[in-house]
Amino acid sequence: MSDIALSPSTLPPSALPTSAVPALQFIDVRKTYPGQAQPALRDLTLIVPRGSRTGIIGRSGAGKSTLVRLISGLETPDAGQLLIAGQDAGQLSSKARRERQSHTGLVFQHFNLLAQRTALGNVTLPLELLGVPRERREARARELLAQVGLGDFAGRYPAQLSGGQKQRVGIARALATDPDLLLADEATSALDPETSAGILELLTQLQRERDLTLVIVTHQMEVVRAATTHVAVLDAGQLVESGETRALLGHPGHEVTRALLDAHRPEVQLAPGEVLRHVNLKDLSSQTLAALAGLGARIVLAEAHPQGVDTWLALPEAQAGLLAALNLQAVGA
Amino acid sequence: MSWAEIWPLLWQATLETFQMVLPAALIAEVLGLALGVLLTLTRPGGLLANRLVNRVLDAIVNIGRSLPFIILLVLLIPFTRLITGTSIGSTAAIVPLTIAAIPFVARLVDGALYGVPGGVIEAARAMGASTGQIVHKVLLPEARPALIQSFTVMLVNLIGYSAMAGAIGGGGLGDLAIRYGYQRFETDVMIATVIVLLLLVQGVQWLGDWAASRADHR
Repeated sequence: MSDIALSPSTLPPSALPTSAVPALQFIDVRKTYPGQAQPALRDLTLIVPRGSRTGIIGRSGAGKSTLVRLISGLETPDAGQLLIAGQDAGQLSSKARRERQSHTGLVFQHFNLLAQRTALGNVTLPLELLGVPRERREARARELLAQVGLGDFAGRYPAQLSGGQKQRVGIARALATDPDLLLADEATSALDPETSAGILELLTQLQRERDLTLVIVTHQMEVVRAATTHVAVLDAGQLVESGETRALLGHPGHEVTRALLDAHRPEVQLAPGEVLRHVNLKDLSSQTLAALAGLGARIVLAEAHPQGVDTWLALPEAQAGLLAALNLQAVGA
Repeated sequence: MSWAEIWPLLWQATLETFQMVLPAALIAEVLGLALGVLLTLTRPGGLLANRLVNRVLDAIVNIGRSLPFIILLVLLIPFTRLITGTSIGSTAAIVPLTIAAIPFVARLVDGALYGVPGGVIEAARAMGASTGQIVHKVLLPEARPALIQSFTVMLVNLIGYSAMAGAIGGGGLGDLAIRYGYQRFETDVMIATVIVLLLLVQGVQWLGDWAASRADHR
C-alpha cells in the first residue's frame, strides 16, 4: 500500500492497476470561496491510500470542511486536481458526478437525518434517489440497521432516538448504496466520549469488513489515535505533515501536530522532577503494570479503544527514557 | 325573525361560503405552493439561486399581498369575466379569492420551507439528489407540518375574505350578515351568522392544528 503524501507525480493514476489507485488524490488543490480574501485550501497535495482509515485533522479554519465539500461533490477545485478513485472530480458530467456521489457515503456531525422519516425511511432515501424498488431498498435498509445494532428501531423517528442511535442510522444510510469511500465529518464531535468510542469502533469494524476507505475528518487527536491507520495534519489550507498514525503521533514533526496532541493532555499536578508522558499500550496487563510500577510511574489517565489503551503517565524524569526499553511504544510526549 | 326563517338562510349562506372558499383554497394551494417553492429555490444560496427571478417573484408576491381584497375584487372584474363568463355570483367570486390567496400561500410556503435545516438539504445533495428530488423527497415532506399550518391560515383568511364577496353578488355568510344584520337591522340574523362564522373558523383551525401535529414527528 502506498504511503500517504507520496509525491503525486510519481503515481500517474492511469498507469497503475486499480488496486494501487489511491482512494483520494489531492494535487495542488486550491479553493477560494467567493467574497473571501484567503483561500480555504492553498495548493493542497494529499493522498489517501485505498483501504486505509485516514484521519484528517486540523484546527478550525484549517480547511477540513472545504476538503469534505470537495470530496462529497458539493464544490469543485478552483485549481489543481482532485482524483477520486483515479477520476478527476472537477471534470465530471453532472450524471457522472451523481454516480460518484452515490459511491461516497457521508456521515455528518449533526447526523442530518430527515425528521419526518423513520430510521428505515432515512436509510432507504439514497436508494430511493437511485430508483431502487421499494421492496429491495427496504430489505437492504433493514439489513443495514441490523448491522449497526438498530434492528429493532426501524420504525422509530429520529426524535425518538439518542444521539448515538441517530449517528448509527446516519452510518447505515451512508452505507445504503454500498460505497467504496466512507467520509465521516466530525462524526463524533456532538456525542459524549462513551458514545463516541462506540461509533468509532463501529466505523472501524465496518471499514474492515467491507474493505472501505474510511476518511475521518476531526479536530480531536484522540479520534485519530483511536480509529485511524494514517493521518494527515492540515493547517491554513495546507498539508503540514502526514504518515502512518503510530509513527506520526510518536514523532510529531510539526508544531501544529504537537499542539493538537497537547490539546488532549490531561490537567494534572506533577511532583517536582516528574514529567508527563503519553504511551499507547497494547493492554494494561499485570505485567505491564508491574513494569510501570518499577519505573515509579503513576497512571494519570487511561482510555481503552480498539487500537489499545491510551495512557498518560506521570513518572520521574530520569526514568522517562526507559519507557522505550520496556517495549512500550511512546506516542507523543 | 324566527329560527325557522333564519335556519334556511344560514344553511344556504354556509353552502355558498364553502362553494367559494374550497375551490379557491385548492387552486391557490397548488399555485401558491409552486410559487413558494420557486421563491425558496431562487433565493441567494438556494438550489436554483437567481437574484433577478427571486426579486421579480418577491415583488409580485408583495404587490399581491398589499392590495386590499375589496379593491382586488373590483380590479379583477374583467379577468373574472374572461375566466368564468360572468363577473357576479359565487362562481365568479372564486377567481378573486384564488388570486388573493396565491401570494399569501407563496409567502407562507417560502417560510415553511425556510425552516427545513440546511444540513438535511446538503446531505441530499451529497447523495446526488437532483433539485426535483430534493423538492419532492426532502423539502416538501420535511416541511409538511408547517405546510398544513399555512394551509389552515389561508383557509381562515379566505373565509374572512369571502365576506366581501357580497360586493359582487357572491353571497355567503358575510354577505348574509351585512344584508340582514346591517342593512335591515335584523340583529338576531347578524348574531347567528357571526356564531356560525366563529364555529367555522374554530373548526378549521382545530382540524388544521390536529393534522399538523399528527404529521409532525420532530
